[in-house]
Amino acid sequence: MPREIIKIPSALGFSNVEEVRHQITKLISAESPQEFILDFAEVESIDTAGVALIDYLNEFAPRFGTEITLTNVSKKISSAMDVFHLKKVFTPEKKEPPGFFEKTGDLFYKLKNSVGDILILLSNITYWSGLSIVRPKLRRKGEVIHQSILIGVNAFPIIALIAFLIGFILALQSAAQLRQFGANIYVADLVAIAMVSEMGPLITAIMVAGRSGSAIAAEIATMVVTEEIDALKVMGIDPAPYLVVPKVMAMSLVMPMLTIFANFIGIIGGMVIAITYLDLDILPFFNEVMSVLRYKELVTSIVKSLTFAFIIAVTAAYFGQKVKGGAEGVGKSTTSAVVFSIFFVIVADSILGLLFYFGETTF
Amino acid sequence: MNLPVIEIRNLKSAYGDQLVLQEVNLQIPANEITAILGTSGCGKTTLLKHMIGLLKPLEGEIQILGKSILELDENELNDVLKKAGVLFQSGALLNSISLADNIAIPLEQHTNLSKDMIEFIIKQKLELVGLSHAYHYLPGELSGGMRKRAALARAIALDPVILFADEPGAGLDPVTAASLDQLLLSLKEKLGMTLVMVTHETASIKRIADRIIYLGKNRVLFSGTLREALESDIPALITFFNSDSSQKSKA
Repeated sequence: MPREIIKIPSALGFSNVEEVRHQITKLISAESPQEFILDFAEVESIDTAGVALIDYLNEFAPRFGTEITLTNVSKKISSAMDVFHLKKVFTPEKKEPPGFFEKTGDLFYKLKNSVGDILILLSNITYWSGLSIVRPKLRRKGEVIHQSILIGVNAFPIIALIAFLIGFILALQSAAQLRQFGANIYVADLVAIAMVSEMGPLITAIMVAGRSGSAIAAEIATMVVTEEIDALKVMGIDPAPYLVVPKVMAMSLVMPMLTIFANFIGIIGGMVIAITYLDLDILPFFNEVMSVLRYKELVTSIVKSLTFAFIIAVTAAYFGQKVKGGAEGVGKSTTSAVVFSIFFVIVADSILGLLFYFGETTF
Repeated sequence: MNLPVIEIRNLKSAYGDQLVLQEVNLQIPANEITAILGTSGCGKTTLLKHMIGLLKPLEGEIQILGKSILELDENELNDVLKKAGVLFQSGALLNSISLADNIAIPLEQHTNLSKDMIEFIIKQKLELVGLSHAYHYLPGELSGGMRKRAALARAIALDPVILFADEPGAGLDPVTAASLDQLLLSLKEKLGMTLVMVTHETASIKRIADRIIYLGKNRVLFSGTLREALESDIPALITFFNSDSSQKSKA
């Protein structure tokens, strides 16, 4: 069997291993079948990459019917090789990806479990919310006020800005059409009805879901990951009344307020267009607003805001406690909480819209 | 004593108004295992973070491999840090990627190795720490001890000259801790690696440490060989080393 001796450079490591590998593999693939002797006589140092090259060549050479033999390996080099040398070249086990039926089954199984979990969480929250009104000790002292400030008071500026812009744009888009028919004054009706019964509650809910729903989900998810929830449980404290109920209460308290505020600011936004573009005065505008708004619109607004508050808080709590993994899991939970909150809010808005539209019209 | 790879002179460190370390002067010799000891909150981890450039001291000088790291710009500091591996207390593996991908990070970032070679090095490192089977596993699928060993595999991916380890044996069972110690010892003996470890584990210290640095009262109370530490008459050191034997005798 023909042999070829390859001299290995004095240092074999990260800096030159690719160069050496290229030379040797070229020889092996061009001159097979042969026995290649790697001469380590001049080698003074070897590192992980150097040893990896030997392991690599031991696997590579047989593919071309050749063998690799090492010679003149000093004690020092041999000792370093002992540390890193692969005892057995293994093929990493890779998990088989699930098939279509497995995926579908898994999806329905998870869906079933999720519905069950949400129902349990809902009943828990409802039970503990009721109980903690009569037994305030069940929730953290001052937590409802604290959460109300975080969710409500701190959100006033951004909600004011968004509501103003929505009212402004609604009026602007309709102004040109109304002007053609000399129906300038009806911009007040349009903005008032649209803001109070639809846009006010919806925009507030979307803002609160993005701002506070994400915060609640991230807080609870982080507490799960860092075992703080487990710590509460082993101290005999139920996390639902201790953590979630104050948030639900605070959100139910501040959402109607934020919605009423958003309605008012939105109407102001519409009024700016009415005054500047449609030449209306403040008083006729407000008279028209007051004449068109009935209790029904106000009740719709409040009922929607309360429903949305409950949806956002429960969805955020649900995704927060379902977290898996570490930092990445927290991110996923937070994203899911916001996306599903907004989705459920819009679904609920449609259902409530239909109920109020086809329901009793006189208040 | 071998030539020092790390030298610290007059180091002073604080978190806000709270002084953590002052007048810290020490040398860490090459090819030895140096254990930094001390009571909880005495500044061991802070000292380690100064050595790896994560914290800047108020005063003092830190030399790693002959370079004063406080005077280096970011690129120069990164060049020095490439020669150091760090095993964090929690492992600090990236949870969203597999163990293999975690170990590949330094290899892909700091070398020009091909994918094949990187794969072989990953296999070597995983075998070295006894995790060959966990190549595709996510860190979240491993136990605490396995995560720590995986983190060690990543820390030694580039064959660092110095390996810093923050509580390497913490949370491990005695058998796993002993095998981890043997691994650290072989890295020192066969590859000439210098190890700096912050630890409370007296059994581990007695097994592998060559040199002891004891911190207390915001400064270095003792610096010397393990033998000198065991024979020292400093009360804190006596208590530290005797706590282990008294626990054993109670058991």
